[in-house]
Amino acid sequence: MEVKYVDIGSQYTEHRDEYLKTIDEVLSSGQLIMGAEVDTLERNFCELTGSKHAISVANGTDALVIIMKSLGIGPGDEVITASNSFISSASSIGLIGATPVFADIDDDLNISAEAIEKVITNKTKAIMPVHLTGKCADMTPILEIAKKHGLKVIEDAAQSIMAKSNDWLSGSMGDAASFSLHPLKNLNAFGDAGIITTSDDQLAEKMRLMRNHGQVSRDDFVFWGFNSRTDAVQAAIINKKIKYLDGVIKNRRENAQLYRNRLKDIVKCPVDGEGCFDTYHLFVIQAKKRDELKAFLDSTGVQAQIHYPTPIHLYKAASYLGYKKGDLPNTERLAGEILSLPIHQGLGPSQIEYVCEKIEQFYK
Amino acid sequence: MKVPYSYLPQQFADPAPILEEIAEVIKVGDFTLGPRVEKFENLFSDFIGCKHAIGVGSGTDALFLSLKALGIGAGDEVITTANTFVATAGAIETAGARIRFVDCADNYVMDVSKLEAAITENTKCIMPVHYSGQPVDMDPLLKIAQKHNLKVVEDACCAIDAEVGGKRCGTIGDTGGFSLHPLKNLNIWGDGGVITTNNEEIRDKLRLLRNHGMVNRDEYAFYAYNSRLDTVQSIVGCHLIKDVKWITDMRIKFAESFDSAFSQLSDFIKIPPRPANERRVYHMYMLLVERRDELHSFLLEQGIDAKVHYPIPLHLQQASEGLGYKMGDFPVAEKQAKNIISFPVHQHLIDEQVQYTIDKVKEFYKA
Repeated sequence: MEVKYVDIGSQYTEHRDEYLKTIDEVLSSGQLIMGAEVDTLERNFCELTGSKHAISVANGTDALVIIMKSLGIGPGDEVITASNSFISSASSIGLIGATPVFADIDDDLNISAEAIEKVITNKTKAIMPVHLTGKCADMTPILEIAKKHGLKVIEDAAQSIMAKSNDWLSGSMGDAASFSLHPLKNLNAFGDAGIITTSDDQLAEKMRLMRNHGQVSRDDFVFWGFNSRTDAVQAAIINKKIKYLDGVIKNRRENAQLYRNRLKDIVKCPVDGEGCFDTYHLFVIQAKKRDELKAFLDSTGVQAQIHYPTPIHLYKAASYLGYKKGDLPNTERLAGEILSLPIHQGLGPSQIEYVCEKIEQFYK
Repeated sequence: MKVPYSYLPQQFADPAPILEEIAEVIKVGDFTLGPRVEKFENLFSDFIGCKHAIGVGSGTDALFLSLKALGIGAGDEVITTANTFVATAGAIETAGARIRFVDCADNYVMDVSKLEAAITENTKCIMPVHYSGQPVDMDPLLKIAQKHNLKVVEDACCAIDAEVGGKRCGTIGDTGGFSLHPLKNLNIWGDGGVITTNNEEIRDKLRLLRNHGMVNRDEYAFYAYNSRLDTVQSIVGCHLIKDVKWITDMRIKFAESFDSAFSQLSDFIKIPPRPANERRVYHMYMLLVERRDELHSFLLEQGIDAKVHYPIPLHLQQASEGLGYKMGDFPVAEKQAKNIISFPVHQHLIDEQVQYTIDKVKEFYKA
């Protein structure tokens, strides 16, 4: 049996006619930049995240850059984030001229509030927790620390659309949040797209201008901004896909439960945190002999992946920051144990069962 | 009669062949870079006549990433023109460099004779804008660049298929930045851009700059951007690039009809110089006219979607406040901003719409 890690094709085939018709309609409208579909997307995101404002941008990386630029963060400032993430979490901080500072993580793979407090300096301006895998970071203590030290909180919610922590939706807890609609995300475009959410009116206004050349009207530009817009075609596709999102998350959560039922005594499986609703963009187990297990699964047709084998602080791109091996012991240890099992919504019980069998077989 | 500025519903009245190919990509989920983007990049570099083309997120990003690839940033100055779309200046600012404007010539683009006076010890780069598809006089510009050891980034966002002195726009400087915005001569179904260069080192740097500095899935050379030309949009580009010659020819044909009619209205309308060594591609057809605002309103009433590019030059925008410019610094650009107007000139017009525009302009001036 082949168990694919991603299967975007199956998501598409089911709704092929609807999606192609949607693109055709956008073309007929002639409104390919901004316009009604983009407005609808932003309203939809306000609802999905419980935020007052949503601002669509070109991708999740740009979302982080625009948030931090709009908050006035730049050279000389420090922003604290996690090292076990996609590179954008840290690179976005570097790109605006600020310095990424890494805090270690807990066993749930999210940033540790305790570790954050240890790396705060008088240059720290913001904390950027990453809701990795579709699980919210432990926001209550993070928000308290931020308040205590007068810091901004930027949620990197790229993987966590619809995830909840104590009835708070991801993207509604900090000063602003970034979402990615990259093709591999739970809610995904047919290309790059991203969303910023915030409930701060002034910040929202600034970010709206920044993503579109600082343009107030056709002939007035108040500051030099970027071109970072979600294509209307992509917005229209996402607007159609939003109605399937509950189903996507339900399937992923069911698959997660099937894995836990079978594997809980063999490997460490992720569980929903207390009061949390996780959306399982990734299902990351912690396994002994990880590399051998991955190779074995590969040989049996099961595609597993590692998110991420090298923590960001050890990339060549981060060498200028002066981190070395041993600086983030938990992050580094977990990088050697984590394995993402296939969890996508197109998988059913028989495939999950097959993966579990193979893992059992490996450890027998 | 209506003479619309936008023609997108007409252009994409039958998207079926493109949609079919997009459907194939969606089926396999191949949405990010990959062979289809490469195919478009190859078609683009062949069409432009340069060695390398790199697909990016927008024309703005094409200019911005060009500056980054050339190592231009904080403390550096980049010289461009005061009458251009805001993105030219925004790209310089985003790269962290300082914007220096120079005035425009009779053809509404950079007056190269005023360039040298704007150069300081901090100047690192010249960014000529082939605005509206009107090429900048590149030979003297290149001589100045060589003399002062400056880089040249051509803002060719409006100028696909344009030529000057036998050279193709976008192949003359260190890099050229193109926009594929829906209203450009070569357009896609959203935002996109292309950088052209003949330099392999710059190409390799740009490929990293547009994609997170990613060498492979687990190795990143430096912190960089996400600015990719979507794979589905590359498919659109592959289909439409075949039409560019026709698009340019149609626009030139309509522009020549306008020129010939309006040359009889020289009391009211000033046609820019049209030297024979240029291929102007008329992304916009722009003129200087008397009583511009009245003419503009009149044409709009008559169903002709005329536009003004732009009523306020960049150095007088609020965004320029920190740069220290004031009214009077660029008298030609400021004067042109008061008289400039653009008429619809796109390839989907018919002769009757062009004639109607001419008739209404004549009617306005009672000529």
